[in-house]
Amino acid sequence: MQKAQAIKRPKNLNLLTIRLPINAVISIMHRMSGVVLFLIQPLLLLALTVSLSGPDGYAAMTELMQHWLLKLMLIALSWAFFHHFYAGLRHLAMDVHWMTSLQKARLSSRLVLCLVALSVLIFSIVIW
Amino acid sequence: MVIELLTKKYPGMRLWLAQRISAVVMAVYTVLFGLRLAIKQPAGYEAWQLFMAPSWWRILTLLFFISLYMHAWLGVRDVLKDYVFNLKLRVVLQTLVDVLLIVYLCWVSIILWGN
Repeated sequence: MQKAQAIKRPKNLNLLTIRLPINAVISIMHRMSGVVLFLIQPLLLLALTVSLSGPDGYAAMTELMQHWLLKLMLIALSWAFFHHFYAGLRHLAMDVHWMTSLQKARLSSRLVLCLVALSVLIFSIVIW
Repeated sequence: MVIELLTKKYPGMRLWLAQRISAVVMAVYTVLFGLRLAIKQPAGYEAWQLFMAPSWWRILTLLFFISLYMHAWLGVRDVLKDYVFNLKLRVVLQTLVDVLLIVYLCWVSIILWGN
């Protein structure tokens, strides 16, 4: 009897029906942005290598950066960076027991989203 | 006492702390980088090269990348543990990541001191 009940217990892992609270959204985006930043490492090091290789490399790099598609990619990457940065600072704050109540955690989550949006906006204006 | 806590009783705490310390190092470097960039505004190859040239800056940059790859190692490790259930596959992927990160660090040293 008990066994049958255990088997019938519903699973709710349908990603389309789970509504994540804002703190969880910040958290999963922190993870995603971290993975993105890890994956682009070879591109970052390549850009650094070429831009420091000599005047020609530098010129080629700046010319490449002028392309609108590359600028869009840079803006997307800036999102990954800024999100990981601010959400990471939020984690550090929580490690030292700041903003750990539910209400404050929600507030700091919104603050992170605002700071990320603002930073990406400023970055976009600067590079465009 | 803290050292004992970190080494003997709770070895996982070392990794936890390493993730935090590397995060702080990177955050400080990033702010420094942004400030220097804003102040010097290097335009052109010469200025960019001079920007990266000072020894103290190269050492800080190396420290930044060491922290970055330590941080990435810990982070990717957690991600693989969470999503890759096949142990053999996970070991292969983790080894690949380990090798990549070591190669990246060598690459960084060559960028900084290669010429």
